[in-house]
Amino acid sequence: MAKTAEQIRADLLRPVFRSGPAYWLAVGVSGSMVLAGVFAFSYQVYHGLGVWGLNWPVFWAFDITNFVFWIGISHAGTLISAILRLANAGWRRPVTRCAEAITVFALSIGAIIPICHLGRPWLFFWLVPYPSERHIWPNFRSPLLWDFFAILTYLTGSTIFLFLPIIPDAAAARDLAHGWRKKLYALLSLGWQGNPKQWHRLESAMHIMAIAIIPVAVSVHTIVSWDFAMTPVPMWHSTIFGPYFVCGAIFSGVAALILAMALLRKFLHLEEYLEPIHFDHMGKLLLTMSLLWFYFTFAERLTTWYGNDVAEMSVFWSSIRQNFAPLFWTMVTCNLIIPFPLLAIKRFRTITGTVIASSTIVVGMWIERFLIIVPTLEHKFLPYSWGTYRPTWVEITLMVAGFGMMALLYLLFSKLVPMISMWELEAGVRKAPIYRHQAVAFEPSGARARAGVREAEPLATDLSR
Amino acid sequence: MKALYALYSDPDAAQRAVNALRLSGGSLGIGERQIVVVTAEPFDGYDFSDEHSRTRIFLLASLGGVVGALFGLWFTRFTQLAYPLPTGGMPVVTSWTNGIIIYELTMLGAIATTLITLLITAGLPHFGEQLSDPEIWHGKILVGVTNPPDRARLELESQLRQAGAAEVKTA
Amino acid sequence: MVIDLDRCTGCEACVVACHAENNIGTAGPDQAARGRAMHWIRVERYWEGEFPNARIRFQPVLCQQCDDAPCEPVCPTYASYHTPEGLNAQVYNRCIGTRFCANACPYTVRFLNFYNPQWDKPLHLQLNPDVSVRSVGIMEKCTFCVQRIRSAEIQAEGEKRELKDGEFNPACVQSCAPRAMVFGDLNDPNSEVSRLARSGRATKLLGELGTKPNVNYLQRESWENGKNG
Repeated sequence: MAKTAEQIRADLLRPVFRSGPAYWLAVGVSGSMVLAGVFAFSYQVYHGLGVWGLNWPVFWAFDITNFVFWIGISHAGTLISAILRLANAGWRRPVTRCAEAITVFALSIGAIIPICHLGRPWLFFWLVPYPSERHIWPNFRSPLLWDFFAILTYLTGSTIFLFLPIIPDAAAARDLAHGWRKKLYALLSLGWQGNPKQWHRLESAMHIMAIAIIPVAVSVHTIVSWDFAMTPVPMWHSTIFGPYFVCGAIFSGVAALILAMALLRKFLHLEEYLEPIHFDHMGKLLLTMSLLWFYFTFAERLTTWYGNDVAEMSVFWSSIRQNFAPLFWTMVTCNLIIPFPLLAIKRFRTITGTVIASSTIVVGMWIERFLIIVPTLEHKFLPYSWGTYRPTWVEITLMVAGFGMMALLYLLFSKLVPMISMWELEAGVRKAPIYRHQAVAFEPSGARARAGVREAEPLATDLSR
Repeated sequence: MKALYALYSDPDAAQRAVNALRLSGGSLGIGERQIVVVTAEPFDGYDFSDEHSRTRIFLLASLGGVVGALFGLWFTRFTQLAYPLPTGGMPVVTSWTNGIIIYELTMLGAIATTLITLLITAGLPHFGEQLSDPEIWHGKILVGVTNPPDRARLELESQLRQAGAAEVKTA
Repeated sequence: MVIDLDRCTGCEACVVACHAENNIGTAGPDQAARGRAMHWIRVERYWEGEFPNARIRFQPVLCQQCDDAPCEPVCPTYASYHTPEGLNAQVYNRCIGTRFCANACPYTVRFLNFYNPQWDKPLHLQLNPDVSVRSVGIMEKCTFCVQRIRSAEIQAEGEKRELKDGEFNPACVQSCAPRAMVFGDLNDPNSEVSRLARSGRATKLLGELGTKPNVNYLQRESWENGKNG
């Protein structure tokens, strides 16, 4: 079953160099979704934020739900790539690039949303700290500024993390492609040769990136959660939000990754690379995150109920029993009740099973974000300020455009580079040597050669590999 | 660029070739830098190069982080004191919240330094000619010598063949 | 500011005066139905029972000008900050409409301009020239009629004297028929406001949250005791 290097390269570069009609159809559909979003956003900028469903007191709803949702999805790449790299788990090799791509694109979409949700979006650059003629700097006490720095760092880090392993694959594509593609990959590969020094430096850099990106990812979603936790309003002012959101992010990220893997497997014919065992491993991860998510949700709700604070209880009951009850229980079904048997029972933890579980989880996690934001805003402290919220077509279109943008970016990316890291896969396929070689020192005088030494001395055995 | 090289399917053979070249290289009039090994994947466990584990990238990344932290410390404090505007009963310079931004800038400093160090030490981007062969993408290892002196050609060829190469090519 | 709930009749003259003084846009019936009405001061009405045994209480709620305002640290552009005089200022020019301040405010006294406010002619002639008109996407709230504060301060400075207690009032205080609202300098222990704030009937709205509001409500009995209040 082991594939040769030639086969690997051929299989993985084939979808990059050739496209079928299904691909163009997908690009067309997702492109139209994005265009619809552009139209909706222009409409919103022209007429004002009133075209949304927001009102007094619900000032954040679909916009911030989508923001937190996409930032959450972006935690897929980190967990799989970075943690599994550090843990030296071999099964990660076919999965790392699609995970890292999800991170970068989801993060980009998540970064655009705060710009689009502003009352005066054309002034978004006031959030950027630069010496301005207005004699003012932004307010670093605001969680939104922490968001700015966190997302900037994470986006930079994950783009680098995505791009570094692409360099050798781009070099392969450069040598195996023709015409305009050759020039494109020559540029993308930065003139990569593949000598041992370059490989060593690349692997060291990736090791550092893997170590660095994990705390950044944890901090990003913690900071996003602090957009809510730093306010004194009922059921937002909770210390559990940091870990709760990080857990939810990894949870939704892994689910999104499974969906992406399944789609890639089907449409790029990667059946021999993304095998059922990979989905089995991911399914176990997803199960762990599902239980962890339930633990955090339960802990938060129990402390609220037990504490019986008047203002918090009005928000609590609105989610559990009153107008948000259908959404709340749908969320629990989607995040725990359906996925649990599918992921816990080995017979069901197949590709189909994990895909069904992931689909419900993605929906459930979107609902979870919505239920964190809107019930609190609808029921703040003073009953006279309670309200209701309904989305309008503009918000729904923008949400759909987000998904379209994700699909479009992913489709375009799959044409640019192979979705599975070829060199990493090869390195994993090849067996490690039993004897660890030691480099022979360069002999400027050639004395040992003249003495007839042809081979390096026998070396220490290194059976740990 | 003139070069003489061979392609090996077996990494042990490639290792023998590299060792032979290193042992005899000086006497044949080639410098250490002229011995080139090109692979399509990192062959961990084999040492085709002398300078395997000495790298300062970890230290530099940490230094980059420190620089980022110091910048963050200065930046948040300086801007908060430059146009002091009190909010919410908090002090003008809020250390705890500044700490968050300092942390992010630390990580950004470490990440950026890592990238820059990588690019510099790996010699990227590289625009000139360099020795390579498309066969390496099919799993072969290229071991060769760039700009070999003419008098040494035969000897080098025989060393490459002795290690196990099927054919020796020129570029 | 001090508001005497035992005097408030719920006439809402304060609401109307505020709209007139501060160029607040009228949302219109459709927008108001969607929850977009902007009443910088609103009269909250709570009642129990049926007529003729209904017990009813009116509570005007406006920006409490909190000392530790939760709306201030969350604004990324310093549009909401604390002035040296102790007011919570809203700087319209700096606002980019993130609406974080509105979500952080426990009293929900902040409002967004969802559309550009319109005044049909000839109502545009009654706009107060001392107050700017806010455009779409900007947050606004009660400022304690800062334009009146400034104008009185400038007048006093020109006449080289201190401000007198009761010399000027915000529009709501000025228009309150039962004289339920009193405005003044809480830092001056001899002002009427300070005297009333020291009364045994004085409470703060949501005081337990630690926002340190500067509006004191006077009421004889609390609602939960079930007495007339």
